[in-house]
Amino acid sequence: MKALEIHNLVKIFKTKKGQSVHALNDLSFDVMQGEVFGFLGPNGAGKSTTIKTLVGLITPSSGNALINGVPVSTGTARLKVGYLPENPAFYDYLTPEEYLTYVARSFLVPVAEVPRCIEQTLKLLELWDARKRQMRSFSKGMVQRVGLAQVLVHDPDIYILDEPMSGLDPLGRSLVKNIILELKNRGKTVFFSTHITDDVEKVCDRVGIIVKGSLVAVNNVENLLKGGVEGYLVSLQSADSTLQNLAPFSVLRQSGTIFEYYIPKDGFNRFMELVIRSGSEVVLVETRRKNLEDYFLSLVK
Amino acid sequence: MLNHFEITFKSIIRDRIFHGIIFSALIFLLIPSVATLSMRQATELSMTLSLSLISFILLLLSLFLGGTHLWRDIERRYTYPVLSWPSSRSAYLVGKFSGIAAFIFLVALLLGGVAVLTVLITAGIYPPERPIVWNLFFLSIFFDACKYILIVAFAFLFSSVATSFFLPVFGSICIYFVGNASQQVHDYINAPATIGISSITKNMATFVYYILPNFSAFDFKINAVYRVPIQVSGVLMTGVYFVVYLCMVISVATLLFEKREMN
Repeated sequence: MKALEIHNLVKIFKTKKGQSVHALNDLSFDVMQGEVFGFLGPNGAGKSTTIKTLVGLITPSSGNALINGVPVSTGTARLKVGYLPENPAFYDYLTPEEYLTYVARSFLVPVAEVPRCIEQTLKLLELWDARKRQMRSFSKGMVQRVGLAQVLVHDPDIYILDEPMSGLDPLGRSLVKNIILELKNRGKTVFFSTHITDDVEKVCDRVGIIVKGSLVAVNNVENLLKGGVEGYLVSLQSADSTLQNLAPFSVLRQSGTIFEYYIPKDGFNRFMELVIRSGSEVVLVETRRKNLEDYFLSLVK
Repeated sequence: MLNHFEITFKSIIRDRIFHGIIFSALIFLLIPSVATLSMRQATELSMTLSLSLISFILLLLSLFLGGTHLWRDIERRYTYPVLSWPSSRSAYLVGKFSGIAAFIFLVALLLGGVAVLTVLITAGIYPPERPIVWNLFFLSIFFDACKYILIVAFAFLFSSVATSFFLPVFGSICIYFVGNASQQVHDYINAPATIGISSITKNMATFVYYILPNFSAFDFKINAVYRVPIQVSGVLMTGVYFVVYLCMVISVATLLFEKREMN
């Protein structure tokens, strides 16, 4: 079943000089329930515009979008949605505890469950000790964590995250990736935008690439990664004499009795046959492939 | 909507500018001393000064709270997560407005209490010739608060379309002056003694008079200070005028806010 549906979305902004800027051009794609979908694109590609349209902050010029089959223009469509804006800002005179109470009540979380939900969320995001501090004293990373907390606190089914790793240190980034994977394991739908390909590789099932307001590709991340394999780096431990059997392949590097070979994808089976015949010991096999960044760059260029 | 109301209330209480404005209420302490400078009608002067001070503080609050509150939420992007929640934009706007309106009533009530003490102290030193009519005194404060709530409503209307604080703040100041002058202008134009004004101008002025707020309708200071009775029908008319005008302004504000793009 489809969690998010975007049909022929067009958004045209008018500048102060009266010029038209086409932010989204006939954008169409779906995100299935339980899927982690990465929305990848360079700066200014239309990622945030798409997301703002999904959460009702912007009205499309034409086309429509649905959340769980309900048009995004109706408030009830967002009852099971958690949204994290890019570079979020929250009422800085409130404490995280007060803000999350505000969020939980707005999403109609039963009153008796609110304290437990808040405690669980704040502990998960390592904000428990700061729960009574006004947010005006928070660092950018802490504000980003509050942003994630307000998304998680009401346990929605669909998570729409605009650059969720932005402003976080490596520990924070790792925490967010783990949270996304945990949500995936719980069958939740996650739709997040980023311009960092590594984030997509690590956590996404599918990736959509948007360039200049148009969707240029939607692909399965696993297939992309498999399809991008170019060859293998193989390290063998062997005596010099036994390597004569491997003559068709040249040694890339040698360190004592360890010999390193680069084997193109189509020659790997032949190479391994020769290795077995030679009696050499395989120490390490590393895959050499085009990564998502190469794929992304090739599409953008 | 109650949620937004509560958060708005909390934000006002924690705002430092609000603390500064409320600090000016200390001027009340000076009123009995100043009133004694008048050899006669010290109580009347004390009442006038108290009501004027309340009015001034409420004016500052309405301009500050109305002019900056909604605009700041949009400017600092606090609205992004909030408006993506299931509740409607109109619930958000009305909730915020109600929070400020309730706060203005509360401040008016508290300042009214302080004003009563001030007047009683003065009346204790220089007993008035005629007894004080407290009903009129409170009615005057109540309708003064209503007037400033209308200014807050206008500030919200301007904020719903504004991209800077100039329109909500200075627009509200203009509304304050225009609202206070509209009755006088109307009376002047339609006075039999006024000559040289064409009927078209008169009709246009009358039309504008009905569109613009009329704050003189809310002014019962003279009645309170000099114990001039007010007819119940007059009070009711003012009350109805306040409710109808407020609903109209807030309705237009919500309509505009619903259409606003949060870029």
